[in-house]
Amino acid sequence: MPEELTGWLLDIYAGGSGLILWFLESGGQRRRLEQVFPLSFYIAGATPELRAAWRWLASQPERLRLARAVRQDLFTGPVTVLAVEVGRPLDLPPLFRRLAQAFPALTYYDADIPLSLRYAAATGVFPLAHAWLKVEDGRVAAITPLSSPWDLDPEYPPVRILRLEPDCDPAHAEPQGMFLSYNGCRYRQPLAPARALLVNLRAVLESHDPDLVLTAWGDTWLLPRLIEASTSSGLPLPLNRDPAGEIRRKHQRSYQAYGQIIYRGAQVLLAGRWHVDVCNAVMYHDYGLEGVLELARITSLPVQTAARVSPGTGISSMQILTALRREVLVPYHKQQAEEHKSVLDLLASDMGGMVYQPTTGVHADVAEVDFVSMYPSIMAHFNISPETVIPGRRDALTGLPATRAERGLVPETLEPLLQKRIALKTALLTLPKWDPRRKRYRDWAAAYKWLLVTCFGYLGYKNARFGRIEAHEAVTAYGREALLRAKEAAEDLGCEVLHLYVDGMWVKKPGWCTAADFQPLLEGILARTGLPIALDGVFRWVAFLPSRLDARVPVPNRYFGVFQDGEIKVRGIELRRRDTPAFVAAVQQELLDLLARAASAADLPGQWKSAQDLLRRRLADLRQGRVPPRELIVRLTLSRELDLYRAPSPAAIAARQLQAQGKNLRPGQAVRFVHTLGKPGVRAWDLPGEVDPRTLNWREYRKLLLRAAGTVLEPFKVELLPQEGIPMLLPVPQRAPAVLQEG
Amino acid sequence: MGRTLPTLSQQFIEAEASFSRFRRALRRSDQVALDDLFVSAHQHLAAASYAAHILPFEVFLLAMLLEEHKEVLLLRRQVDELRHA
Repeated sequence: MPEELTGWLLDIYAGGSGLILWFLESGGQRRRLEQVFPLSFYIAGATPELRAAWRWLASQPERLRLARAVRQDLFTGPVTVLAVEVGRPLDLPPLFRRLAQAFPALTYYDADIPLSLRYAAATGVFPLAHAWLKVEDGRVAAITPLSSPWDLDPEYPPVRILRLEPDCDPAHAEPQGMFLSYNGCRYRQPLAPARALLVNLRAVLESHDPDLVLTAWGDTWLLPRLIEASTSSGLPLPLNRDPAGEIRRKHQRSYQAYGQIIYRGAQVLLAGRWHVDVCNAVMYHDYGLEGVLELARITSLPVQTAARVSPGTGISSMQILTALRREVLVPYHKQQAEEHKSVLDLLASDMGGMVYQPTTGVHADVAEVDFVSMYPSIMAHFNISPETVIPGRRDALTGLPATRAERGLVPETLEPLLQKRIALKTALLTLPKWDPRRKRYRDWAAAYKWLLVTCFGYLGYKNARFGRIEAHEAVTAYGREALLRAKEAAEDLGCEVLHLYVDGMWVKKPGWCTAADFQPLLEGILARTGLPIALDGVFRWVAFLPSRLDARVPVPNRYFGVFQDGEIKVRGIELRRRDTPAFVAAVQQELLDLLARAASAADLPGQWKSAQDLLRRRLADLRQGRVPPRELIVRLTLSRELDLYRAPSPAAIAARQLQAQGKNLRPGQAVRFVHTLGKPGVRAWDLPGEVDPRTLNWREYRKLLLRAAGTVLEPFKVELLPQEGIPMLLPVPQRAPAVLQEG
Repeated sequence: MGRTLPTLSQQFIEAEASFSRFRRALRRSDQVALDDLFVSAHQHLAAASYAAHILPFEVFLLAMLLEEHKEVLLLRRQVDELRHA
């Protein structure tokens, strides 16, 4: 008996004779449905080898359909391929592993695409999409999407959440209990005896039947612990909603990205319900659960995956989706090698964004003008995509890299993303403060920002499927051109350019001090570049800081200032750094707040007295032990394995102390410690027991505090503590840094 | 990261390092003046990079000259002002 229903897609994975789909019906029912969904992948290569692969495939036990076909390669156009249709999705990964091992020289396409992407490309139904279905005998016979990932106000499924949280950080001490919260109630359950814990948790899982298990340290500690307890005691624990589904586990790893060592904990993924570990979700601190759900919607990755992948994987998933929709082959391994270049070509193209050395010192009435999502806008506006950039060819008129006319894959992927981000930003400007959508929009905009930022990196990334270094270089070339045109527009209007930084420009002009004054500049830049530009704000004053090592040398991204509405903006100074103790950061913030009270740059001297008093009070707090040890924690990320540290840095000493306690830290993990008196000078914070406040090395903290205070007061040439005669820690510039300042 | 050529900042540091023997043999007061020259060239790294010149040190020299000339212009103006004051 066929049945029609509407609902939201919660989860999708291979199982049974096809796909298993979990729907949350509009009536509130959770439904497990199956769907027949054969998958195809493609093979290209020399004819004799293709024939051999065909014979090999025909002899395999899996149910396959083989055919010769012509498909579109993004770079080379139509190619003749062997099309392999696998009847059961479960069969594809093991079959492909054996095939790739037997025929490593062949080129494979569409072989490792996440199921949810294939499903979204074929049906238009993505994770969390609202859809209409026709169901026959528990199988989906027809399905149509009722929503789009680009909706601004999608109807959300009413998901049930169960929160599980150990009573302390397992890296710090052994937890004794676990907090459970659901349906507005919260209680603590002791971890021992295991039997009581498992029976109770099982009852909660069965009666409450959560869609989302939201944990703290669930990937790395809690769920592995629970699963182990369940196996060793023989008491079943239905963490999975699907009794036939498996719990998937992934191991921990450390890797390098953007010059940083990053640590990713192990993962535990459930079937039929989601497990999200807020401590192991990549950008959770940045965009929260709303951001994770939105990422799942727009990238078409399942919620559990979307929570754990980097934005780079997110954006490449979106590109794969575009390719599938266009019926373009998705290479298994990237194949486009870099074109040959002469040294002169390299000189002209192998450059990053334009970064000026700012004019150091304090400047009043400075406008900060930014290109909006500059690199993605350039890709969309100038149609820059790996397949549209013509290597070695430049536009005769502008000297910029030439591109083909057909819409590129990357610009097509980016366009709706850029538009939705602009729509969100516009909505945020107009929505009243109380509107509940504000938080959601802000989280979404943050998630989008990361996707857009990484999209550029992935154009040139050697492992990106649709990457090509020439496209990456073309984007930076257009970026430099746009920034120089902006500079020229500013100078033509009589402005002084204080700083240029990749996609931003800081300018001032005597007599211009409001947003309206700078409007002609924005219009001029838009006319010259065609790229969206926005005024970040007009600073009452802004201080560009010199290098710590040489006071004469400016550094590009170390500044602080106060906008006209009193908002403070800081970059590169102590309070932005994660290794700064909370106490030091808080005092620096207090000092900035004091400075922000001055109505204009001219009124700043009125604040020096209070700044000095504040500093003196905080130093007294420190010396008399009134600062809680917790606020003095220094947090550093380990950059290598412990035995590879040559000199015993404080971080390495602290990590060794933990190691002696059996707590091993991996590169990319942070170690927390406090500075103590005597040898060895540090104590790891996560050692058992409390830190005795009397052992803290207050002189070390005074040094850190004075340095942070110096950063915000030095540019004004204010002596930190005149009467006490404490030596200055930063050299005062002997000579004005640039002639421009006096001119 | 993923660069084929050293960045101009790297080349600048190397250029400065390559003169360390020269610098060492100078008088202390001359060392300070030499350091000033390199600092003044450092301010124009962005433009020097954009120039994509095959011999970057020539650009560094020009940048030093530029800063020196700015200093001359400034001093000349101050002399004029003093003369007319």
